[in-house]
Amino acid sequence: MTMILPEDFADLEPFVADWTPATSAERAARRSAAPAPALAAFHDAMAPRLDAALAWLDARPLADLDPAGRNLLGLCLMLAHVALAVETQGQDEPRHALQREGMRITRTPADA
Amino acid sequence: MATKPTFTSVDQADLDFLGREPIPAKYYHEADWYERERQAIFLRSWIEIGHVCELPQPGSFIRRELEFAGVSLLIVRGRDGEIRAFHNVCTHRGTQLTDQAEGRTSTFSCPYHRWTFGLDGALLSAPDFERFFTTKADCALPRVALDTCAGLIFVNLGAYPVPLREWLGELADELETLPVARATRFSEYVYDIAANWKLTYDNFQENYHLRFIHPRTGEATFSSENPFGYPVRYQFFGPHRTQTIWTNPEPRIAPLQRVAMGKAMIAAARRGLAGGPNGREYFALFPNFFILGTVAPHFSHVVYPLGPQRSRGVIRIYWEGDDADASERFAREYVMAMARDVHAEDRAVIEAGQRGLASGALKHIHFQTQEALCRHLIGAVRDAVAAHEAAAGTAG
Repeated sequence: MTMILPEDFADLEPFVADWTPATSAERAARRSAAPAPALAAFHDAMAPRLDAALAWLDARPLADLDPAGRNLLGLCLMLAHVALAVETQGQDEPRHALQREGMRITRTPADA
Repeated sequence: MATKPTFTSVDQADLDFLGREPIPAKYYHEADWYERERQAIFLRSWIEIGHVCELPQPGSFIRRELEFAGVSLLIVRGRDGEIRAFHNVCTHRGTQLTDQAEGRTSTFSCPYHRWTFGLDGALLSAPDFERFFTTKADCALPRVALDTCAGLIFVNLGAYPVPLREWLGELADELETLPVARATRFSEYVYDIAANWKLTYDNFQENYHLRFIHPRTGEATFSSENPFGYPVRYQFFGPHRTQTIWTNPEPRIAPLQRVAMGKAMIAAARRGLAGGPNGREYFALFPNFFILGTVAPHFSHVVYPLGPQRSRGVIRIYWEGDDADASERFAREYVMAMARDVHAEDRAVIEAGQRGLASGALKHIHFQTQEALCRHLIGAVRDAVAAHEAAAGTAG
């Protein structure tokens, strides 16, 4: 059976379907489309696991991650965006999302 | 005994050479003035359009649209390794050779009649060429001046431009110390804005607005001793200028921002990028280019005019090397998203300023001491227009 996430992170599996877009631009769009309770739920589940997740991933070559490892990396990268919504923008996030629409992400190292 | 760093404001007396008078508002919205700037500045200045990492090998090319000139350029790395710029235009009857944004090729072939050009712009072959009344040597692609500094690619549409390094003066060597000189990757985001290029650019060379427009994303900058987050120094180099950004001894930083910035700094140290001599310098190269010397984000920002009241901003965050591991990828993703959050906050208020100025309600606008870089830019613009028109005998 194929694992959705590495065994130590199985508790995060409910988030994989919604929070692992493929590109940086799609992650930014996912953040902007999410209602506040969904952003908070993902942040509160994922933020305490970030250190462990990156430690697990850092022990493996980035280019050779299996699908479960890639899902875990996707959750970490998504958290980068969601953390800005929850920790920095807070109440301003819905208004800020409108301002971000005009800033088109065209390239990132993660997309290469 | 070491004392805590305190903020000392720049002295207006050191800036009096820029003048204190109000600035005519027409420079920021009038079509006639924009056309004079276009002729005097944008059609004959070194304009930054990319980075050598986009052209990793012979045959690599990028296409760049210079809307302010109505020009499409092909930037090509030749077999000899040299990077050249050509107009994206077939010398037969003007057809644009390619609409590809970037790629790798050995030749450029016109889709219309298959005239084929080499990476050095030479016309290599043309079907039934014997029936023409010209020579292949006379049909090379029109070339545009191109040069690089710190890995940054500049083009100049003028016929006989001063060499780039001469134009940059002593800043050229300073730019070469920046991480961008070693960059191999970048994050990029782009915005269009309904505002004059100078009004847009000026927003990014004054800190007066930070606490009002960036109350949350700017928190790390704010402190009781320097509530506006003003820089500690301004310097002027001909038409170019720099500011030394202030270091807040007690920045307020969000929890994951601390994690991401920590990982970014570890990666920068591992790559030998941290602690450079210009790590707190923010360079503004005339007319429309910025680069910030910090390692994360190490960003450039170019504001290209699209018309008297329209511009496009291109922001790039430069990195050296591929992501070494997941931590570095996470840090780069966070730093890009954070910088984008900040830049996203400026657009609406700049456009509101443009609408106000375009109404014609104001004859003048005002700059304070800490908007000295904005004052210096309009001075450099007026000087460039006057010099060009005097030389061309078209002053008026």
